[in-house]
This record gives sequence, structure tokens and C-alpha cells, in this order.
Amino acid sequence: MNGAELWIALPLLLLAIGSLLTLMVGALTGNDRIAHLVAIATALFAAHWSLQPAPLMVFPFSVPSLGLSASIVTRTFTFFFCLMAAGALVFSMGYNQQRALRGEEYPATLLFATFGMVALAASTNLLTLFLGLEAMTFGFYILVAFDLKQDASGEAGLKYLLMGAFSAAFLAFGIALLYCIGGTLDISQAMRRSLVIGPVHPAVLAGWGCLLIGMAFKLSLVPAHLWTPDVYEGAPAPVVAFLSGGSKAAALLLLLLLLPQAGDACLLRAPLWGLALFSMVLGNLAGLLQNRVRRMLAYSSIAQMGYVVLALIAGLAGGSGGYQAGAYYALAYGVISLAAFGAIAVLERNGCGATLEEYNGRGTTNPLASGVLALALFALAGIPPTTGFTGKFLIFTSALKSGEIMLAVIGILTAAVSVYYYLRVITCLYFKPAGNAAQGHVSFAEAVVLLAASASILLFGLFPSSLLNILKILG
Amino acid sequence: MSAMSGLPILSILVVLPLLGGLCLLPLGRRAELAKVAALVLGGAEFLLACGCWLFAASPSPAGAPPGFFLFEDHSWIAAYGIRYTLGMDGISLLMVLLTALVTMLAVLVSWRSIHSRVGLHFSLLLLMESGIMGVFLSLDLFLFYLFWEVMLIPMFFLIGIWGHGRNLYSAMKFFLFTLSGSLLMLLAIISLYLIHGAQSGIYSFALTALTGTTLSPATGLWLYAAFLLAFAIKFPLVPLHTWLPDAHTDAPTAGSVILAGLLLKTGAYGLIRFGYPLFPEAARMLTPLVFVLAVTGILYGSWVAFSQKDMKRLVAYSSIGHMGFVALGIAAWTPVALSGAVLQMVNHGLTTSALFALVGMLDERAHTREIEAFGGLWGKIPRFSTFFMIFAMASAGLPGLNNFVGEFLVLAGTLKIAPLTTALAFIGVILPLVYTVLLVQKILFQEERRPLQLADLNPREFAVLSVLALGDFYLGLHPTPLLGMLKLPVALLTGGMP
Repeated sequence: MNGAELWIALPLLLLAIGSLLTLMVGALTGNDRIAHLVAIATALFAAHWSLQPAPLMVFPFSVPSLGLSASIVTRTFTFFFCLMAAGALVFSMGYNQQRALRGEEYPATLLFATFGMVALAASTNLLTLFLGLEAMTFGFYILVAFDLKQDASGEAGLKYLLMGAFSAAFLAFGIALLYCIGGTLDISQAMRRSLVIGPVHPAVLAGWGCLLIGMAFKLSLVPAHLWTPDVYEGAPAPVVAFLSGGSKAAALLLLLLLLPQAGDACLLRAPLWGLALFSMVLGNLAGLLQNRVRRMLAYSSIAQMGYVVLALIAGLAGGSGGYQAGAYYALAYGVISLAAFGAIAVLERNGCGATLEEYNGRGTTNPLASGVLALALFALAGIPPTTGFTGKFLIFTSALKSGEIMLAVIGILTAAVSVYYYLRVITCLYFKPAGNAAQGHVSFAEAVVLLAASASILLFGLFPSSLLNILKILG
Repeated sequence: MSAMSGLPILSILVVLPLLGGLCLLPLGRRAELAKVAALVLGGAEFLLACGCWLFAASPSPAGAPPGFFLFEDHSWIAAYGIRYTLGMDGISLLMVLLTALVTMLAVLVSWRSIHSRVGLHFSLLLLMESGIMGVFLSLDLFLFYLFWEVMLIPMFFLIGIWGHGRNLYSAMKFFLFTLSGSLLMLLAIISLYLIHGAQSGIYSFALTALTGTTLSPATGLWLYAAFLLAFAIKFPLVPLHTWLPDAHTDAPTAGSVILAGLLLKTGAYGLIRFGYPLFPEAARMLTPLVFVLAVTGILYGSWVAFSQKDMKRLVAYSSIGHMGFVALGIAAWTPVALSGAVLQMVNHGLTTSALFALVGMLDERAHTREIEAFGGLWGKIPRFSTFFMIFAMASAGLPGLNNFVGEFLVLAGTLKIAPLTTALAFIGVILPLVYTVLLVQKILFQEERRPLQLADLNPREFAVLSVLALGDFYLGLHPTPLLGMLKLPVALLTGGMP
């Protein structure tokens, strides 16, 4: 391994070593807190490293032998994943203590999942891509079911495992089919050979079909969304924050790595169109009916992914900025998820239950967490000046530019409908009298993460230019 | 003055209340300090707005569209051609003055009536001011849309937290109604931007650039319809008005004052600034529709106002009638009618704010707003009754008071274009006279119905109402300076259309 390879692989190595270190420290000291701190430090260090300017020797940013790249998009997503992990770990410290979830394997597994995400973001090779995705999902199988004493968590874990394994099989088979036709695992070459203009080999169509089915599971698109409400409700809140924010961005990144390389991706328009339509409509309509906040946010997540797919459809046409919009929205949604579920983790630690009524009056007893949750909900509803609004604006601009007028109109109407259920939570938080809940408590670290997430929701919403410049190369 | 011209005065107008409002947020427990700070900030903003008047005669700065005497333009999101462009012409100046004045008075109106979360209340008033200022000053459609939606949030919380009755329902209805109209406008803005970009190769959200877009009739009609829907909901034009009486009835007094005095004006302003100039052909095609809606609003609002038992609802419905005149003046789009419409926006802002403030004061004292509960107030609380009389008469369109001038100009400007419409609207001048006189007669002069212990106005309330009354008299007796200010922008706007 020469210097360039080492430089590119370093974030991965850091996360892997940090994960092992966390396990060892936890076992030696028997103190979960220290294990968490080691894991947070690792994630922050890896994030810091991903921001370093690449030395000259690393050009042209990829090492075929490793199947890894260090492009600016890769490094941006690496930074994002690592920070998401650190944020989720901060919320876990208090949450796990209160729920009596013990064990250093929790932070170690979370870091391992991050390792998978970063590997996926860096991959230039179909095999690395698949391994990264599955390493990530593997971590989540454990994390989702971590709250052993609760039946809901176990049920959610089982559901996620079964569905996830199912989708992994589809993905693997799809990749195998594409490999058969293309004769190479290198992403850009395999993609270019897969969807050539003219008559398409049936195996290619089957391969892409399998890939899309697998991705629909990971992104929780209708009709492959059934695991989402249960997992969002049953899993520990910080895990949901990481799952919703990190893993969906990772899955989306996979599509963003594959689609722009494909020669004539317009063949995929019809299936993606259906996925986007049903996700937007059903997700938002089902959200209206929910009385439990986490389930509601699960359906919201389904709908939000529908908007992202709309951006991908726009991207297929080329020149519309659709992929850029999709990537921006994936990142924006990640931060919003972290803020929302981080705030929910803090509220639940302070004795808040699952139903909407439990959130009554929390605006006075837990001002910080409620404020951040309200901001996140406004962002999800697409109200300016948040990343949620800017992201939706970019998506609808690209959709109209590529001529998807019908889907854009349906999308914006469903967005108008969705505002109702987001506002319902806000009315509970602020307009209804509090029960007999005591004054809430937020730790310093939690406050820092919540405020940082809120600040980035506002700042990247108002000043998206720097981020857009980075994502521009996606097209 | 020359020293001031270097300052980004328009940005300060937008940002000062925003920063002030954010600083007030943590002052939840120190209520008195929060109130005083809000008043000082509101006053400073008003002085600043008056300072803008000094520039009204100065020539356009470099790069500004004609008629705009203050202008700021900076690059913002370059990749999408989005710029931070603020500009002030005569119309904006009037709206900005009104906004600063009404917000300042709204702070005073709610001085004693807010007991919980005081810091938050006053901070929301200031945040709202910031959003409304932004709407009245933006010349970039993206920026405009941003402010347009942002200003909903403080009002949502004002109604929801400090409202009464079915305030949750009303807050939600207000937000959903206005937002769903706006979302379609967002799509229309984006479409216009894309069409213009494809035609000229320059992708821009600047109003000046987009006015030059050539649109096919069908496309223009669709896009204009989306704009019109958003603005008509805010206006509100009948049949899109149903959110307004609920929101007014359940809002706290300051909320009602701002809602009637300022928020409704944003719809009319949007139509004048963006709707007509961007889509002249489509607007001309849909003018009959706006005429019909305006006259329906005038007649229907007055008609329903008759049968109201709650004073606040009565004023809310009379608002719908008065805003109908504004819509009529805009739809006619002649210089006289348009000046009248803008003037009527200011008039309505002053008079209706005052009426809502008066009803709020009565409510604070008697804890009811039922018309049937009151009687003989003239003898009991003379100062209150005098002001009530002045503003009721202004609202009814008595000559010498402000509403008369606006309504007269609108009718005079519309007569040539649409005689029948004008004739129908004229009935709408008479109807308010009837229900207002009935109201005044009932609560001021008839026998006392319930033995209520009422105190007369305190100095603070007296000051608020005096300022508004002065405004009413000034506009009613000597509207020339304001009309002079409107002359150039109105001529520039209507120049393109016969």
C-alpha cells in the first residue's frame, strides 16, 4: 500500500480501528461513557481528516486496486456520515443510560455502520459498493434491536433484518447480472456498458430491476416501505436519527454513483416515476392518520424519499441539476432527521411518551428540545428559511426543467397536505397546556449538537452556494 | 442625508426587527424589559422608515429600475441566478411606513393584555414586522417568496398561543389556507424562471428581467392563475375568505391588528408589484373575474357584517368589503384607480387596526365582545366613544375622513372602464354606512343593557388611538403628499396598459 492508497483509505482505517478500540476500552474499563467518548472522538477525527485537502500524489482521486476514490463528493459525504455518527452517539449517552441499555458494543457497532457508509461513499467498484452497503445495514440490524427489554424493538429488528436480507439478495443478484453483461466491476465502465442506447439486453433490464427493488427497500419507497414505521417506532431514538439521516443518504448516494454513469438511464424513468408518485402520495396521506409522533415521522420519511426520487428522475434527463438537487436534499434531510430524532431522544429521556398527547406543553418544560423539534418539522414541511425549503425548491426546479410537470404539481400538492401533520405536533408542543411534566434537562453535549444541527438547517438553507458548488459535478 | 445614503438602509429595515426579535426571545421572565425593548425597536424602525421619506425625491441610484429611489442588489445563490435585491419606490414606501407604524402600535396595544410568555410575544411581533418589510421591499422573486412564507410563522404562533376560543383550529386553518395557495405560486415562479432562462439564456429571478418574458397565452394564464390564487387568499377575495373571520375572532388583539392592518395588504401589494407587471396579457384576460370577485366581496362582506353578533367578526367582515375596493382599483388598472387602491390599503390599515384595537380594549374591560352586551357607552366612557365614533365613521366612508378619499378615487378610476361594476360597487359604499350607524347607535347611544363597570381610556390607549386618528384625518383632508408620492410608480406601472 503506497502513500496515496493510505491517504485515501485513512478515514476507513480510522473508523475500523476506532471501532475495535471502543470495544477494547469498554471491555477493559467497563465504563460505557468512556467507550462512547472514544467512539465520538474517532468519528470527529475521521470527519476532520476527510476535510483535509488532498496531497498531490492522490490525483486523480482514485485508486483502482482498492476500488476507492477520494473525490470531493466522497469526502463531503464522509464528513457528513462521521458527524452524523458523532451526533447520534452524543444522544445515545443520555438515552441509553436512562433506558438501561448497557454495553460498549453499541458505540462500536455504530462506528462499524459508519465504516460501511464511508466505504460506500468512496467506492468505485461494484463489489466495494455492495460490501459497504451491507456493512452498514449489518450494523443497523443490531442497533435497531438493541433495546432488548422492549418487544417493539425486537419486532422492529426482526422486520428490518428479514426485509433487509431480502433486499440485499436482490441487490447482489442485480450487481451480478450487470457484471455478467459488462464484464467488469468498475462502476463507470460497468454502467456505461449496461444501458447502451438502442436495444437493451434483457439481463441488463433484469439487473437494473433487481437493483431498484433493493434500493426501494433501503430508501423505504412505497411499496417497499412496510418496515419503516415499525423500525422508527421500536428502535432507540438515536439509532433512528442515524438510520433516517445516515443510511438513507448512503442508499441515495449509491444511486447517485450509479445513475449518472449509465449511458441511457431514461429507461429507468417509468419505474422511478411510479416509486416517487406512490411514496409522495401514500407517505403524506398515511402521515395524516398517525397519532404517534415517531410513526408519523416514519411516513414523513417515506414521502421525503419520494421527493428525492423525483429529483433523480429529473436528473435522468440530464442538464437539469436533478442529481445535485437530490444529493443536497439527502444531506439536508439527514441533518433534519438528526435534529428531529435527537430532540425526540432528549424529550423521551425526560419522560415523554410515544403519542401526540404526550408532547403537549413540552415547549415550556423542554424549550430547547421542543424548539429544535419545531424547527426540524418546519424544515420537513418545506417552510423557508430552512434547508428543507431550499432542497424542495431545487428539486421542483429540476423537475420542471426536465419537463416532469405533472409529478411536480402532485408533489407540491402533497407537500401542502403534509404541512397539516407537521403543524399538529407543533400545536401540541406550544399551544396545549402542559401536563404535570417536570422541567426537562438537556446535557451540554446534547445542547451543542442540537444547536449545531439547527444552525446548519438555517445556514445551509439560506446560503447553499458552497454546498451546491461541491455537488455540481453530479449533474 | 448624504451620510445616510451609504448605509444599506433597506437591509437595516428588514434585519433590525429580526435581530431585535431574536434578542427578545430569552427575555421571557423579564416582561417589562421585553416590552420596553420591543417598543424602542419598533420606534427606531418607524423613525428609520420616516427617514426613507427623505430620499423620495432623490434620483434613482445606479442599476435601480425606474421609480425606485432606494436600491440594494447583491449576489446570493449565484448558481441559480438568485440575487438579494431590495428596492423602494413610492408604493413600497407607503407600505413600509404603514408596517412600521402599525407594528409599533400593536406593541402598545398588547402592553397589558399579555401575561404569559411575554418575551416570546413581543419577539414574534418584531419577527413578523421583519417578514412583512421583506415582502414590501423584495425585487427578486425568490427573496419575495421567502419572506412571503416566513411571515406566516409568527402569526401562526400568535394566534395559537395567545388566542382564545377555537384558536388551534383557526391558527391551523390560517396557515394551511395561505400556504397551499403559495405553494402553487412557487411552482409558477420556478416555471417563469425556467421559461425566461430558456428564452434569454440568462437564468434570473429578478423582477426586472422576468417582466420581459414572452409567454404563450395558455402558459401565461396558468402561471398568472397560480399567482392570483396565492394573492386572492391573502386579500382575501370571496370565496377564499373563510379563514379570515376565524383567524380574526380567535387572534389576540395585536394579532388582529397586524393581520388586518398589514398581512392583508401583502396580497394586494403582490398583485400590484408582481401579478400585473409579470403577466399583463393574462391579467387583462382575467380582469372580469377579479371585478366579479371584488364586487362580490364588497357586497357579501357588508351583507354578512350586518348579521354579526360579535364585534370582532363584524369588523373582520367589513374588512373583506373594504379590501374588495382595493381589488376593484387594482383590477381597473388605471392611474386614478390604482392610486386609490394603494391609498385605500393605507386607509384600511389605519382604520381597521384602530377598530380592532378598540374592540380589544372593550374586550379587556368587559370580557365580552357581544354587541348586545353594550349600550350607552357615550355617557359612561366618553373618550373611548369619541374615538369609536371617529373610526366607525371613517370606516363607513364619511367625507373628510380617509376611507372616503380612497373609495372615491377607486370608483372614479373604474367608472370609465366598467360602469356596471362601479354602480354595483357604489351600493357597497352605502351598506357599510348602514351597519356602522346601527352598531354605533346600539353600543354608544342606546340604553345600557348590562351593568358593566368600564374604565375610560388610559394614556397609553389614548396615545395609540390619537396617532391613528391623526392619520385618518390627515389622509382624509390632505392626501396630496401621498398621492404625489404614488404618481410616478403608478404611472410607470399603468403605462404599459390602456
